[in-house]
Amino acid sequence: MDTIVSAWFPIAVTIVVSALIVGGMVTVNRLLGPRSARNKVKGEAFECGNPPSGSAWNRFSIRFYLTALLFLIFDVEIVFLYPWAVELRELGMVGFVEALIFIAVLVVGLVYAWQRGALDFE
Amino acid sequence: MGPLITFYALALLAIVSAAITAFSRNIVHSAFALFGALAGVAGIYVLLGADFLFIIQIFIYIGGILVVTIFAVMLTQGIADVNVSNRAVGVLPALVTAGVAGGVMFYAIIHSSWYHARPGSATPTTYWIGDAFLGPYVLPFEVASLVLLAALIGAIVISRQEVRE
Amino acid sequence: MTPLNLTTIDFSWLAILPLIALSVGAIVVMLAGTRVDDEDSAALGFIVLVALLAAFLLTMFELGQNTAAFRGSLAVDDYAVFFEVIIIIATALTVAMSLEYAADAGLAGAEYYALVAFAALGMLLMAAAGDLIIIFLGLETMSIAVYALAGFIRRDAKSNEAAIKYFLLGAFSTGFLLYGIALLYGATGSVRLTAIHASIAARTAVNPLLLLGLGMLLIGFGFKVAAVPFHMWTPDAYEGAPTPITAFMAVAVKLAAFAGFLRIFFTSLDPLATEWSPVLWALAVLSMTAGNVIALVQSNIKRMLAYSAIAHAGYALVGMAAANGREAGGAVLYYLLAYAFTSLGAFGVVVALDRGAESHAQIDDYRGLARDHPGLAAAMAVCLLSLTGVPPLAGFVAKFYVFAAALNAGFTGLVIIAVLNSVVSAYYYVGVIVAMYMREGGVAVESMSRRPGLLISIAVGVAGVIALGIYPQPYMGAAVNAFASALGRPALHAVSMLP
Repeated sequence: MDTIVSAWFPIAVTIVVSALIVGGMVTVNRLLGPRSARNKVKGEAFECGNPPSGSAWNRFSIRFYLTALLFLIFDVEIVFLYPWAVELRELGMVGFVEALIFIAVLVVGLVYAWQRGALDFE
Repeated sequence: MGPLITFYALALLAIVSAAITAFSRNIVHSAFALFGALAGVAGIYVLLGADFLFIIQIFIYIGGILVVTIFAVMLTQGIADVNVSNRAVGVLPALVTAGVAGGVMFYAIIHSSWYHARPGSATPTTYWIGDAFLGPYVLPFEVASLVLLAALIGAIVISRQEVRE
Repeated sequence: MTPLNLTTIDFSWLAILPLIALSVGAIVVMLAGTRVDDEDSAALGFIVLVALLAAFLLTMFELGQNTAAFRGSLAVDDYAVFFEVIIIIATALTVAMSLEYAADAGLAGAEYYALVAFAALGMLLMAAAGDLIIIFLGLETMSIAVYALAGFIRRDAKSNEAAIKYFLLGAFSTGFLLYGIALLYGATGSVRLTAIHASIAARTAVNPLLLLGLGMLLIGFGFKVAAVPFHMWTPDAYEGAPTPITAFMAVAVKLAAFAGFLRIFFTSLDPLATEWSPVLWALAVLSMTAGNVIALVQSNIKRMLAYSAIAHAGYALVGMAAANGREAGGAVLYYLLAYAFTSLGAFGVVVALDRGAESHAQIDDYRGLARDHPGLAAAMAVCLLSLTGVPPLAGFVAKFYVFAAALNAGFTGLVIIAVLNSVVSAYYYVGVIVAMYMREGGVAVESMSRRPGLLISIAVGVAGVIALGIYPQPYMGAAVNAFASALGRPALHAVSMLP
């Protein structure tokens, strides 16, 4: 188990350091930054973007959810292909054809979603 | 010692986050607390030497499902106003059920003879998973693509716009 | 690692050609649907029927093979063929029922038929599964498709309710099943059913982990076959779903779940039979009693048939609980076969009265049906009597076999409860017959001559009920033989229990 810890040590360090940097910036900003009362004018966009209109809690089109779901489905499909990609050369022709079938089904799904207008935002 | 402390830290993270997810009155807090639960489990995969599972956990659960969940929570109008606690079912029966289920599981886990796989090592597992996917488990591999295809149709059916009168 | 070849993966055309035929059919329907107007989508139903026919013919080549493929992932045995044939017929009849209904109810759309085909694909996988992963994937393919189908009537609140309830509880139960699979793997180190059997049989002491996994599997399958106390979703899901899909859920989904259930419990977990048999005993009693008693007070025929379906899962569990008697397995298979045809016939009549937009699913709507549509009323009466268990119909013979097997195995108390339940069930089944023949004032039903698909479905269902009732021997022989093939043993007593 110690070998696992040592192998993953750099990653653990990266996570800790990145957490420290982000946390540190927020803390330092809070300690050193000028403090002033919040008011409505300060909350508005300054020389960038449009002034917000209406509430953020609107009804959104269901297409946003559909896009999110499609992303998730293709996300999962891609994960299945990583192990194949790692071992592509050793698996030979049969492995290649197997993965090709998998990808073909994936492409069918994409074509279908496209034709059904699931990718359109009119 | 190091792995043991890491394990308990990760387990604590997962359990506390899961408790916040389950008990928080605010569904937005629940959605964000899910991050800790999923990340804690991902860390435990690392300790088990399952590097591919770790990446998948980050990639799909945190990068995909969690983001979609938060997306749905934030886009749904007035979702924070809803009191999500379900009062239709009493606390006591729930506690008894959970307690009994937990007790039985605890007993079973303590008293079981587990099937022991080869001791884990730090070597990457992705290669062998690819081997299994395209070798002995090629049928589940291909069927998985069809499951996803059915899910895709289901998603489009559920969300399609009713254009017909 | 040497390069893969077809031998290392144990490739077999025989095993997967039916699955390929159905997948190709589903994909063609899906893609063709983007080019076809929704009004013409009945043509897509015919593509699914062709794919089902091809799958049926290709399945026939598997008969008598009794081997395995893909390193044990798929079983190519008579047991798989038995369930695959029923599932293919049930799916084909569902499609036939839908051809006119879908257009009437505004369900037109390629996705409807594509999802039915995908669901059938998942069911075939469950019937032929040789490992737990294939069972799980088959279950997921089937369930995901049926969740979407249950909610297909988008603007109907009940249909939405059906979909969301079925989805949430179904996903919950799938979680149990998956946890059970994980625990079994943890206890035995394999997902292959044969390897799990060998591992359990080699043990001297019972492993608590194994029992926990067994319990989780029981909960998961209990949900899918709608056994009490895991039946909560059933009435609402059956009531809200489009009626042909209700038939599909009551027959094909239930049979596929039983196919996986029986195979795991009889070929893999059978060394633990002394542990799981009492649990199934309790589930059987609860399902029969709760199903029949609650069905008594239903005024909606879809809900009534939903509770009836729960009760019939209970009768099938009676046969499963009597696991010690080997012939019990064949009797359960025969029971499911008889139930499939009976239920399809009954739901066919329900579809005939249900006009989609205005749902005529109250039992009161059936009043006077015999005068305007004597054929429909007679078909319904035959099916309901078969569900009650009146000779010489399929339901009677099926109950006879199951109860006889349970008696042989020494489950006298269970059989007494089952018989009492059958008596109770007669009340609500006959209630519908009384309404059809002796009351006045139901709804007008559209002429059947304009709905050939539905007519054929009902006719096949009723013909099956009668054929299985008056000449059961060949089918019972097939059921016993199929069950023996799953156990990997020749059918020694195939004829001994025939009357």
